[in-house]
Amino acid sequence: MADENKANESVSESKVGVYICYCGGNISDHVDVEKVCERVKKVPGVAVARTNMFMCSDPGQELIMEDLRSGAVDRVVVASCAPDLHETTFRSAITRAGGNPYIYEHANIREQVSWVHHGNVATDKATRLVGAATAKAKQLKPLDPIRVEAKQHATVIGGGIAGMRAAKDLAARGFPVTLIEKSPFLGGRGAQLDRVAPTGEKVADLISELAGEIINDSAITVYTCSKVKDFEGFVGNFTLRFEKQPPQSAEDRNKIKEMSESGKGVGEFIPFVGVCPTEIPETSAEFAIETGVIILATGFKPYVPAQGEYGFGEFEEVITLPEFIRTLAESGKNGNVLEVNGRKIKSVAMIHCVGSRQIPGVHKEDETGHLNEYCSRTCCSATLHAANIIRETYPETRVFDFYRDIRTYGRGQEELYEQAAKNKVLFFRFEEAQAPVVERNGGSHGYPLSVKTKDILTFGEEVEVPVDLVVLAVGMEPNDISDLVDMMKLPVGADRFLLEVHPKLRPVELAVMGIMLAGTCQAPFDITESSAAASGAAVKAAALLSRGYVELDPFVAEVDLEKCTGTGACVQACLREGALRLVEMEVGGEKAMRAQVNPAVCTGCGACVAVCPENAINVKGWTLKQYEAMVDMIVSEESAA
Amino acid sequence: MALVDPEFTEELERFGVDTTLECFNCGTCAAICPLIYEHFPRKMIRYAQLGAKDRILENSDDLWRCLHCGLCTHTCPREANPGELILGLRRFVIANWRGTANV
Repeated sequence: MADENKANESVSESKVGVYICYCGGNISDHVDVEKVCERVKKVPGVAVARTNMFMCSDPGQELIMEDLRSGAVDRVVVASCAPDLHETTFRSAITRAGGNPYIYEHANIREQVSWVHHGNVATDKATRLVGAATAKAKQLKPLDPIRVEAKQHATVIGGGIAGMRAAKDLAARGFPVTLIEKSPFLGGRGAQLDRVAPTGEKVADLISELAGEIINDSAITVYTCSKVKDFEGFVGNFTLRFEKQPPQSAEDRNKIKEMSESGKGVGEFIPFVGVCPTEIPETSAEFAIETGVIILATGFKPYVPAQGEYGFGEFEEVITLPEFIRTLAESGKNGNVLEVNGRKIKSVAMIHCVGSRQIPGVHKEDETGHLNEYCSRTCCSATLHAANIIRETYPETRVFDFYRDIRTYGRGQEELYEQAAKNKVLFFRFEEAQAPVVERNGGSHGYPLSVKTKDILTFGEEVEVPVDLVVLAVGMEPNDISDLVDMMKLPVGADRFLLEVHPKLRPVELAVMGIMLAGTCQAPFDITESSAAASGAAVKAAALLSRGYVELDPFVAEVDLEKCTGTGACVQACLREGALRLVEMEVGGEKAMRAQVNPAVCTGCGACVAVCPENAINVKGWTLKQYEAMVDMIVSEESAA
Repeated sequence: MALVDPEFTEELERFGVDTTLECFNCGTCAAICPLIYEHFPRKMIRYAQLGAKDRILENSDDLWRCLHCGLCTHTCPREANPGELILGLRRFVIANWRGTANV
């Protein structure tokens, strides 16, 4: 009781400053700001109440700072827009005035009042919200951010171009990096290309250079044939356990076979395979690393058309664009007509948007019930690039291009489209609901297949194109990383790609602090964009590590040991593994079990607060007492105008 | 059904047309054409691109509507020479009537 009295005493001594914003009319057009100010002045504990046209402006912030410096106030309430925008602005103003940033409370009288209510009721509601914030502010205590040491080490998962780029950038910044790749090779999907649009560079050169830098960098440790088995910890202090195993998948074994057939060895680029950085393991081994940040670069896989989709799987003359890129690269030039497996190809159809931009009710879901409703972004350029190579290398091979829309976005890519038109590629445009149909050619033209479509460019007429080969421009799907998603509790979008914190302002970070995104695990990207994302993620990771510690908001659970009786209800209710546990400690000369919080892991959700029968646990900055004070003030007559 | 004939553009070269596939279907020619007749001349050019001979022969009357004003050729952004293309198609059609198109 004595303690509570003392607490009440300090509450009654709090000097609250209330600062109410006009928001240039956004608030004051509907809320009588001066009236709110006059009413709030009567609330007990309010030392100062002021208004300003824009409280977030420099003069507005100066009002607050001046009152803090002069000692007129020691708690701050700002009534303005949603806290999302300016809570940090005002916290930092308090810090600059020498105060603790957590003696601050925010009242949202724009989104929650002036934008949705009008007239007297708006002014009344604003008064109640500001009153409630004031009541809470009186009880606020200075808090310190939680400081966690950050292990000076980074881990990159995925050894494609994005993963290698991120690993190299972090190593260049001075951090030791572990690169974990599940296949025996570096290079990822990029290694399965030939020349890349729009510059025409050979991926062999790009990947040889990057993989060479990775292999030769003593700060980077590469583990191929390795899969993450277990993950625990928190930002700055993750523990990853992974297993290195002899390759088992058919895809890996095929590539190893290709490597031995190519006569090339460790460290050399093998076309359409990648770079094998170390010997392939013959026995399994487990590893554990402690790491400060994790960059996910788990990549994509090309869409595999359904059986019968545009004749795929039915006719051997129907292949995907990745297959065609390899075929084209490996077929030696033998005259002016492209030859595939000894067959002369005089006419090629290329069909866009296969497995991309699928529409519910038009396209069929895959076996897991998914549709790829997004644009894969890279296939238009890749298709036209391939079409140009055909036309420029084999002038007697004609290309017929079937598209829904052409999206050759990005520097130097629209030019590919123009070049294709100049190369006399003939375009056909189809509606999504009337996709081209690929059939065995019954006619006497000597072409094995025909593609039929209702062509918008021919004024909606049905056209039939006899062809030797159909190439399907398949889209991208994220690799299946459901094990990592479960382990790390990663947010996944409706499109199954990983979901960043903010699509525009924080595009390489995940909601799980300390885990970043690089490349096509996030969305369909080309190599340029993947590298940019990877470098961005590396910089974010380096910024986080280079301070040596991480500061987290202090809004986490706190146990009142005088009240805790060790029921363990909180531990059972806790949603975050490792955030709460019962530990043995001395209580009044005897050993007893009591709850203990790991503040670095606790997310401050409050599930524990709700179940404690003794009211012995609270979330700092959001205590039950503070809530009660807010509710009391909302319903009190004092703030009722 | 318009059957596409990949070899038709080469056939047309014999009639003095070598710009068939330059056209990218923008429709500027049809917009500037003083005939303001359906999609003339774009539609005929599209048929030529496809090699849809049946369509060209079915609609051959349209080819003689052309006034030779040259506006389409003048404005074509691809320099596909639509006016000359129409004249070439006339030669192709006449050859067909005579039964000498493939001679």
